[in-house]
Amino acid sequence: MSNQGDTSVPLLAARDLAKTHGRTRALSGASAELRAGEILAVTGTSGSGKSTLLHCLAGIVRPDEGTVTYAGERLDELSEKRLSELRRTEFGVVFQFGQLIPELRAVDNVALPLLLAGASRTDARATAGEWLERFGVRGQGESRPGELSGGQSQRVALARALVTAPRIVFADEPTGALDSLASEQVMTALVGTAREAGTAVLLITHDAQVAAYADREIRLTDGTVATAGVAA
Amino acid sequence: MSTRHILLGLLAGGPSHGYDLKRRHDERFPQARPLAYGQVYTTLQRLVRDGLAEVDGTGSDGGPERTAYRSTVDGSRELARWAGEIAPPAPFVTNEIFAKVVVSILADGDPEAYLRAQRAAHMERMRELTAVKTAKGSDLATVLSADYALNHLDADLRWMATTAARLTTLTAEVDTA
Amino acid sequence: MNAFLADLRLAWLLTKGSDRREWWRVGLTAVGAALATGIGLGVVALRSLDGFYSVSFGSGLFDSPSDRRNVSLALGLLLIPVLGFLGQCARIGAVHRDRRLAALRLAGAGPWQVRRIAALESGLACLAGAVVATAAVVPLLPSPATDWAGVVLVAVAVPVLGAGVSAVALRRVVADPLGRVRRVRPVRGPGRLFGTATRLLTVTVVAIALTPVFGSPVSFGLGPVTVLVLAVLISLIAIWLSGASSRQLGEGFAAGTSRPALLIAAERLREDPWSTARTHAALLLVTVVGSGFAGVRQILLAGLADMRREGRLGTRMSYYTTGIDLTAAAILVAFALALTALAVGTAESLATRRRGLAAQAAAGVPHAVLARALLLETALPLLPAITVAGLGGTVISAWYGAAVSEHTDVPVPYAALLVPVGVYAACVLAAATSLPLLRRSVRPGELRYA
Repeated sequence: MSNQGDTSVPLLAARDLAKTHGRTRALSGASAELRAGEILAVTGTSGSGKSTLLHCLAGIVRPDEGTVTYAGERLDELSEKRLSELRRTEFGVVFQFGQLIPELRAVDNVALPLLLAGASRTDARATAGEWLERFGVRGQGESRPGELSGGQSQRVALARALVTAPRIVFADEPTGALDSLASEQVMTALVGTAREAGTAVLLITHDAQVAAYADREIRLTDGTVATAGVAA
Repeated sequence: MSTRHILLGLLAGGPSHGYDLKRRHDERFPQARPLAYGQVYTTLQRLVRDGLAEVDGTGSDGGPERTAYRSTVDGSRELARWAGEIAPPAPFVTNEIFAKVVVSILADGDPEAYLRAQRAAHMERMRELTAVKTAKGSDLATVLSADYALNHLDADLRWMATTAARLTTLTAEVDTA
Repeated sequence: MNAFLADLRLAWLLTKGSDRREWWRVGLTAVGAALATGIGLGVVALRSLDGFYSVSFGSGLFDSPSDRRNVSLALGLLLIPVLGFLGQCARIGAVHRDRRLAALRLAGAGPWQVRRIAALESGLACLAGAVVATAAVVPLLPSPATDWAGVVLVAVAVPVLGAGVSAVALRRVVADPLGRVRRVRPVRGPGRLFGTATRLLTVTVVAIALTPVFGSPVSFGLGPVTVLVLAVLISLIAIWLSGASSRQLGEGFAAGTSRPALLIAAERLREDPWSTARTHAALLLVTVVGSGFAGVRQILLAGLADMRREGRLGTRMSYYTTGIDLTAAAILVAFALALTALAVGTAESLATRRRGLAAQAAAGVPHAVLARALLLETALPLLPAITVAGLGGTVISAWYGAAVSEHTDVPVPYAALLVPVGVYAACVLAAATSLPLLRRSVRPGELRYA
C-alpha cells in the first residue's frame, strides 16, 4: 500500500554525498534512495548530518561531491531558479518551526504557494481552506501564526507543504517543538495524507516514536549511512 | 500481572461465564498476551476456593452447558484494595538486554553488533505498533495500549543508544572486575 | 555612584564581548557622535568670535555677528537629524541584544538598570566618536578665541545626549527576564501626542500669518521662523499620514491582491504601521524643508539676479550664494543621515527575520518575490507621505513667492516639486541597499539555528 508507482526506479536518489560547513564535515559519502509514495525516516544523533542530507536532497544546498537525481534530473547541476521552482511545485517542506510568515493569516500562508503559481486570491484561499479542514485547523484560518499553538501551527505548515500536491514532502524534525500528544496528531495527519495522496515523505527525526511512522529507516552516523532498516 | 484481579474486575459488571470472560478480556486489553481457556478456568476455581467468587448457576442456551460466576462481597473488597494499590516501581533492575551485553563482553562476543540487531528488531516492532495505532477505525483502547508499548520500546532504544556509545568504558570495567 | 560604576563596567564588558553586528552599531554610533561633536564645536567656534572678523573663507558670511548667529542656529538645527540617527543606531541588533539583556534581567538586574546599561553602551561609543572628533577639529579652530569651556562642554554633552537618546529609543525593547523576543508595541498610534503638537503649531502658524511680514526678502526676519514652524507642522501631518496610510494601504491591498509580494508587504504594514514612523519622520521633515528650500532658493536667486542687473545689490553676489549653498549643504547632510537611518532600519528588520526568510526561500518562494516585498514595504507608505510633504514644501515656497512678489517677478517654484521625486527615488534606493543582505539572509545555513 505504501509503495505506489514504479518501485524499481527510485524517485529521488543520492550517491556518495559530501558536504562541509566551514571546518565541520557534515556529510562524507552518504547515499540514500526514496521511492515514490514511500515514507522514509532519517535518524541519527545531533550533528550526524541529517539536516544537511535533507537540504541536499531537497535542492536547498548543493553537495560538494556526489550526485542527487530526482525523476531523471540532476539536482546538483540545476540552476537556482529551477531548483526554487522545483521546491515550490514538486516538493513541500516542513521545518521544526519558522516556515509560516508571521504577518500572514494561516489561510494566506497556505494559499501562498498557489498565489506564487498564479492562482487568484479567491481560488487560492478556497483551496487553502479545504486543506486546513483536512488537518483539523479550519477554525484557525483567520489567525496569525503567533496566535496558534505549536501543534496547530505545524498542521498549518503541513497544509502549506501539501497544498500544491507535491511528489515529495521533506520534513525536518516536524514535531521537534511539540509535546507527545500534539506530535502524534501532526504525524498521524502527515502520514495519513501522504499515504492517501501517494506522496513520498523524507522525515528527519531524532525521536524513535516519530521514526516508527515511516516504512523504512536509515540511520546516519558521522555523515554516512550506518544502517538501513528494511521495509515491513 | 494478576489474572485473578483482572477476572474479578470483569465480573464486577455482573455474572459471566468463562468463555465470555476470555472474550471480553481480549477485547478490553488489545495487544496483550491472549488468555488461555485453561488459565481462565483454573483462576475462576481458585477465586471460588478463596471465597472471592461464587457459582451463579449453569445454563446451556441451546449449546454446551456453561457455568456462570459472580463476584462476592469479599471479592469486591479485594478488587478495590488491589486497584488502589500502587504497582512497585521497578523493584528489581533485571534486564535481558543488559545481561546479554555483559555476557557478550565476558565471552569476547560482539556486543555492538548485538545492540544494532536488537535496535532494528525494536524499531520493527515499533513500526508494527504504530501501524496498528494509526489504522482506520482503531479505538482508543487500542491506541493507548500501543502507546504504552511504544513508550517502553522507546525507553529501551534510548538506553541502548547511550550504552552503545559507552561500550568501550563498559568493556574495560567488566574485563578488570 | 558605585551602582553607576558597576553599570559602566558591565556596559564596557558587553561592548568588548560584542560580535560583528554589534561592532556595526558601535561604529555607526561613533560616527554619529563624531558628527554631532563636529557640529557642536562649529557652533562653539562661531559663538566665540566677538564683533566683526574677517574670516578667510565663506565670502564674508562669517564676518558679522548677526550672520554668524544665523549660521550657528542652522548648524544647531542639524543636531536634530544627527540625534535621530543615534537613536536609530541604538536599535541595531535590538532583538539580539534583547536576549543578552534578558540574561541580565534573569541574573537579577532591574528593568531600569538594564536600560541604563544599554544606554551606557551607546554612551561609550559616543564618547569614542566625540573624542576623535574633538581631537580632529580643535587644531582647526581660530586659535586666539578658542572657547575651551565650550569645547569641553560639547565633548561631554554629546556622549550624555547619545546615551539619553538610546535610552529613549530602547524604551520599548527591554522587556522581561525570559527574553520574550519582541518589541512591546503601543496599541494605539501616537495619535494624542500628534494631535496636541499639531494644534499647537497650527495656532502658531495662524498667529504668524496674521502678523504682517516685515523686511526685504533677503534679510533674515520673521520669515525663516515661519518657514521652520510650517515645516515642522507639515512633517507632523506627514508622519501621521504615513502611519495611518500604512495601515489603510495594508488593509486595502491585503484584502484583494493575488500578488504574493504585495500581500506580504501589505500584511506587514497592517501588522505594524508605526514601526517605521520615526525614520519616516526625519525623511518627511527633510522633504518639506528641502522642497521648501528649493523653491525659496529659486525665487531668491531670481530676485538677486534681477537686483544685480539693476545694480541694487549691496554686496557681492557670492555673499548670498555662499549662505544659500551652506543651507543646501546642511539639508543634504540631514537628508543623507535620514537615508542612512532608513537603510539601517531596513537592514535591521531583515536581520531579525533572517531565519524565517531562509525558510521561505527553502520552501521555494522566489528571491524576486521576497525582494519585491521588501521594497514595497518601504515604497508603499512613503508615496502618499512624501507627496504631501512635497506639496507642503511647494506651498511654502509659493507662499514665500507671494510674500516677495511686490519686490520682484517671481518664477514658478518648480524646483520644489522636483525634490519629493528625488527623495522618493533615493528612499527606494536606500531600501534596495538591503538586497545583498537579503541574498545572504536566505542562505540555508540560517535554517540550522533555532
